[in-house]
Amino acid sequence: MNAAIAGIGATDFSKNSGRSELQLAAEAARAALTDAGLEPSDVDGLVTFTMDTNAEVAVARELGIPELTFFSRVHYGGGAACATVQQAAMAVETGMAEVVVCYRAFNERSGHRFGQVQTAAAANIDNSWSYPMGLGTPAAMVAMFARRYMHEYGATSEDFGRVAVVDRKHAATNPDAWFHGRPITLDDHQASRWIAEPLRLLDCCQESDGAVALVVTSAERARDLPNKPAVISAAAQGSGRDQFTMTSYYRDDLTGLPEMGVVARGLWRRSGIGPSDVDVAVLYDHFTPFVLVQLEELGFCGKGEAKDFVASGALELDGALPLNPHGGQLGEAYLHGMNGIAEAVRQVRGTAVNQVADVEHVLVTAGTGVPTSGLVLGQG
Amino acid sequence: MTDIEKEAARIAEQGESAPRLARDPVNLPMINNWLEAIGDKHPGYTEVAPPAMVQVWTMPGLHGRRAPDDPLGQMMAILDEAGYTSVVATNSDQTYHRYLKVGEHLSMATSLEDVTGPKRTGLGEGWFVTTRSTWYVGDEPVAEMRFRVLKYRPAQKPEPVAETPEAQPIRPSVNRDTEYFWEGCRQNELRIQRCGGCGLLRHPPGPMCPECGATKPKYLVSDGLGVVYSYVVHHHPAVPGKRTPFVIALVELDEGVRMLGELDGEPAIGQRVEVVFTKVDDELTMPSWRPRADR
Amino acid sequence: MRIGDPLPEWHVEATPTFVISTALATRDFQDVHHDRDLAVRRGSKDIFINILTTTGLVQRYVTDWAGPEALVRQINVRLGAPCFAYDTLKFFGQVVERQEQDLTIEVVGRTAHGDHVTGTVRIEVPA
Repeated sequence: MNAAIAGIGATDFSKNSGRSELQLAAEAARAALTDAGLEPSDVDGLVTFTMDTNAEVAVARELGIPELTFFSRVHYGGGAACATVQQAAMAVETGMAEVVVCYRAFNERSGHRFGQVQTAAAANIDNSWSYPMGLGTPAAMVAMFARRYMHEYGATSEDFGRVAVVDRKHAATNPDAWFHGRPITLDDHQASRWIAEPLRLLDCCQESDGAVALVVTSAERARDLPNKPAVISAAAQGSGRDQFTMTSYYRDDLTGLPEMGVVARGLWRRSGIGPSDVDVAVLYDHFTPFVLVQLEELGFCGKGEAKDFVASGALELDGALPLNPHGGQLGEAYLHGMNGIAEAVRQVRGTAVNQVADVEHVLVTAGTGVPTSGLVLGQG
Repeated sequence: MTDIEKEAARIAEQGESAPRLARDPVNLPMINNWLEAIGDKHPGYTEVAPPAMVQVWTMPGLHGRRAPDDPLGQMMAILDEAGYTSVVATNSDQTYHRYLKVGEHLSMATSLEDVTGPKRTGLGEGWFVTTRSTWYVGDEPVAEMRFRVLKYRPAQKPEPVAETPEAQPIRPSVNRDTEYFWEGCRQNELRIQRCGGCGLLRHPPGPMCPECGATKPKYLVSDGLGVVYSYVVHHHPAVPGKRTPFVIALVELDEGVRMLGELDGEPAIGQRVEVVFTKVDDELTMPSWRPRADR
Repeated sequence: MRIGDPLPEWHVEATPTFVISTALATRDFQDVHHDRDLAVRRGSKDIFINILTTTGLVQRYVTDWAGPEALVRQINVRLGAPCFAYDTLKFFGQVVERQEQDLTIEVVGRTAHGDHVTGTVRIEVPA
């Protein structure tokens, strides 16, 4: 693709931001524009999540963006993350806009918490097959997959725990991470309380307040801006057969994430690279089991082999596939995957706090269990 | 003048309470305990105490009580009676006239300085109560403190639904496409959608058959038997209408479709189960599972 | 030490051990400072630091920076959000007033829930 991420911005990540979601969105967007060396008057496009409470026009008003020629939203919670960049890139490539800001801002910890049971969500007909039965939290919905995955492949709670340990290890050396300086051991993981068996507390990502924004423009324009562009080598969305939001329990097989398989095929085809070319993987990690499943769907290992791949140390910073050097959502913050895209940009620029050497290609994925998306970012 | 203000004026007029003698003189073991806990490596506290420790010397201790003439205690009782039952400290201003030497024995006396209210605060309506305490060595005042608390009536907070196990269970929403299922539950029938065109069985249901495109769904009545395909033991957070922990099972029915429901029993993949119906009210009957001994 | 000088940021990890040991060392035996079950039953999310400890931390923050020769004359604190067990309490400070050897330092102690303490400390430094 002929588009690049030219700027990244974020607020602090906290448990109580003390400000409105609109202020968070505006702060992150302004920071991203400053990083890109651009002015609000350069912006003509905005993209966010359907779930974001901040209207594009409200963000435009706060920033003083004069006119918008492109505004769009993507559905399905965290599955939207990489797709916001895809929307922006398509707008830039088709000439619908020149500079597009993608943003996500929420008080997800101090305000509306996704981890609690959302009684109102049962108003959705699809959810009426799960919520009234008592299956009403994202953790429990993922746990249903995880139990079957364990049964089919012999994976254990410790196999899930290794993902949390790696993320928290990386977060421990990232000053922007909520869990900075607080690594965990596998024993800590095993001692943490049950949330929804087989998921323990430390299998579940934290909840956070904050915002992240990304500036997308053409690769040519990005090359004239102060920071090294992170070129969008490929972007893809994916939804699978018989897809539900978090509860795709009615397919033949419960051990995969076929929607991520759709994303993977799109990414590899469009970027011309394959799994072995990926230098850093920023995989969506709201719950540990789906990191294992993603490794399989994306082709880093065979079905059922992720537990051995992870146990081999592959996900360490000096491993075969460094995972979430910023600490992921388990370690840095839960920003619906947008903070992972910012980390991918830093890895391409060479400015990350836990920088991996000689990065050519970074893979980023969005929310799992829902229709989702992915990106491959690379050197210009 | 309100009654609270009158009482406040009366207590203020009493002036300083009788001095309360510290349990121990200023001493090194307590200083060292304090330094250790706070993590303070200051080398200067070998003969004098850290100033911020002044209040520690006169704390009432594990079984201590307020003296009957303690003005703060009296004022708290009056505000409790008036319905301002919660308290939070807001200010502590300490002035140290000099450092206290090991061996000196402190006493403290308190007077009521000010009571203002009622004020609207973020916590609820309340009164700010300010006291002034003086620490003495003999007759010499060595330190002073102005201490302010907010005594308030907690604002009514709506009960968070998710944290109340007694809360009403979550109800399904029902539409034209799903009404047959819930009607079946009311009649203690577990109904599975069956395409009127090609006979495809399908759950959850929908208005158009993905196989043949027909829009005339019918249903069959399941035998209500199946096996556990996967399950979750839910511990946190609380779920309205459920007592944690509880089990939700994804059951593969003998007819070939899967369906979620609570399972009353020890869960295991492959466990044989049968459907049970529980009437919630006239509108709603919920299906759930219980283990079966066969197989 | 001039007006406007910042104090270095200082972080205190409020572990349960820290909350409890400081409460006991300040002879504050209220249950909300050492008994999590009771604290939760009273509507708190966990045990939290007591006021005498907050005052002690404010003093330590300033004297760690000013050195052991400085004499503490006054500590005024305004209390905000509780500092719960497992919180990180981050201190920030700045010299806001100086008259000869008398300095006033403004101090803020903040957790993720907001400002736990804001206050001023008056010290006297050697000439």
